[in-house]
Amino acid sequence: MSARLHGDVMNQRDDWHLTEALDYEHGRADPFAAAVRATRMPMVITDPSDPDNPIVFCNEAFQKLTGYDRNEIIGRNCRFLQGPETNQDDVSRVRTAIEAQTDIAIDLLNYRKDGSTFWNALYLSPVRNDDGDVVFFFASQLDVSNRVQAQTMIAEQKTAVEREVEARTADLKAALEAKTLLLHEVDHRVKNNLTMIGSLLRLQARSIADPAITSKLETMLERVDALATVHRRLYQSDDITRFDVGAFAENLVADVVGASGRTDILIATEIARIEVPSSKAAALGLILNEITTNAIKHAFIDGKAGTITIRAGVDESDAVVEISDDGHGLSTQQAKPDGMGKTLIARLARQVNADVRWSDAAPGARVTVSFPVTE
Amino acid sequence: MTHRPHAPLSVLIVEDEALLAMDIEAMVEDAGHKVIGEAASLDEVEHLSGSLRPDLAFVDIQLAKGSSGLDVCAVIRERWAGTVVVFVTANPLKIPADFAGGHGVIPKPFSRNGLISAMRFIEEGVCDPPPLSPQPASFIAAPAFAALWS
Repeated sequence: MSARLHGDVMNQRDDWHLTEALDYEHGRADPFAAAVRATRMPMVITDPSDPDNPIVFCNEAFQKLTGYDRNEIIGRNCRFLQGPETNQDDVSRVRTAIEAQTDIAIDLLNYRKDGSTFWNALYLSPVRNDDGDVVFFFASQLDVSNRVQAQTMIAEQKTAVEREVEARTADLKAALEAKTLLLHEVDHRVKNNLTMIGSLLRLQARSIADPAITSKLETMLERVDALATVHRRLYQSDDITRFDVGAFAENLVADVVGASGRTDILIATEIARIEVPSSKAAALGLILNEITTNAIKHAFIDGKAGTITIRAGVDESDAVVEISDDGHGLSTQQAKPDGMGKTLIARLARQVNADVRWSDAAPGARVTVSFPVTE
Repeated sequence: MTHRPHAPLSVLIVEDEALLAMDIEAMVEDAGHKVIGEAASLDEVEHLSGSLRPDLAFVDIQLAKGSSGLDVCAVIRERWAGTVVVFVTANPLKIPADFAGGHGVIPKPFSRNGLISAMRFIEEGVCDPPPLSPQPASFIAAPAFAALWS
């Protein structure tokens, strides 16, 4: 080496040796070399042309960081800073970068002379000559133990928070399950009670000889049935806070016609989803029940065949359910519900802000129920 | 050629609520069928006379003495392989996806209209398949129900 240093023709590779002279001419010669020597950033230069790529230069800051003296450093491969806890995968990444002659930035756990550790933010890059050949590797180090510790702490806190969130979520899930169970239990009892009320009314109706009273009881029964259908539809749906009026109307008409045994009454449907809050379900269900049972009872008397058409849809802000028939029409005396049915429709319509209108469908009658859905 | 039952169907009612059993019985008879037996629990079904030949059984899920309609279904299927089992329950969600071998479910609360429509549909499917009536909302058919038609 000394031959090169004192050779007559100093090639480019040997320029770095100038910094050796700066030991006693600190900062007075090459200002760049002086800067490298004096910077607070630990730096080394290695020579890959020598066996095992030894360190051929290190600055003061590097000695201070690692606790080794220059004579303990020069001539050794950088791996002397590694220790048992150093991640070997990271080390082999550095090796790969050197072999590929590319630069690399990586955090390594390194060991000082006294055995203590520090996190080393290593930046290593090849230095090429004019021909593009790698003549040195330049490496800068930075003690980032604080940053790594902070990251570790953040990661630990994150894990702790995640664990806490998980525990809370489990608690909430358990609470929700308990509530769901309770809801199912209540739902089950409501259904059983509705079924029993229906059964009681049906059994009573059978034991009464007076057709006028039987007919009234049956009408009551249809109302209880309508409420039961509302309840069933609500609890079978995914969202028990919403009620689909269109599907309910279709369901109701099919049930009522089906049970009448009148195969000569056809059902035509044109149904879109109309969602209302479940609080309105019972009232709307009862209104539609009064209209439907009335239509089926009176539009097709005397064995007149025909079609019941149900249309449901949302028109701007209003939902519209239309039940029409091609039966006897409005001229018949009983085209519209009377008595209790009439009162029910009027009062319940007011309750849910619905408008119920009868019109001539020539032939037959049409009932249009419209109500706001944006409340 | 499969042997198909004729109306009136012989119906077995397995229900622990006396009122509901009476009510279903009345509606079954209104629909023109015959109730040939009633039971309120699993062991009552086991003790039914072997000479009964139910075409159709309506089976509640929560039965007396803590017994389950799903077990009743298994017993019925074992004793009378040809019987069509329809669950009548307030808790249709408790029925497994394969309906435990049953043919369908009528959710409670049922209405007279719903039950009679369901009964008509079932009768058509059992006696003269496939049914001509559309499947009513009051009846959810199991895959085993449509399998009866083939």
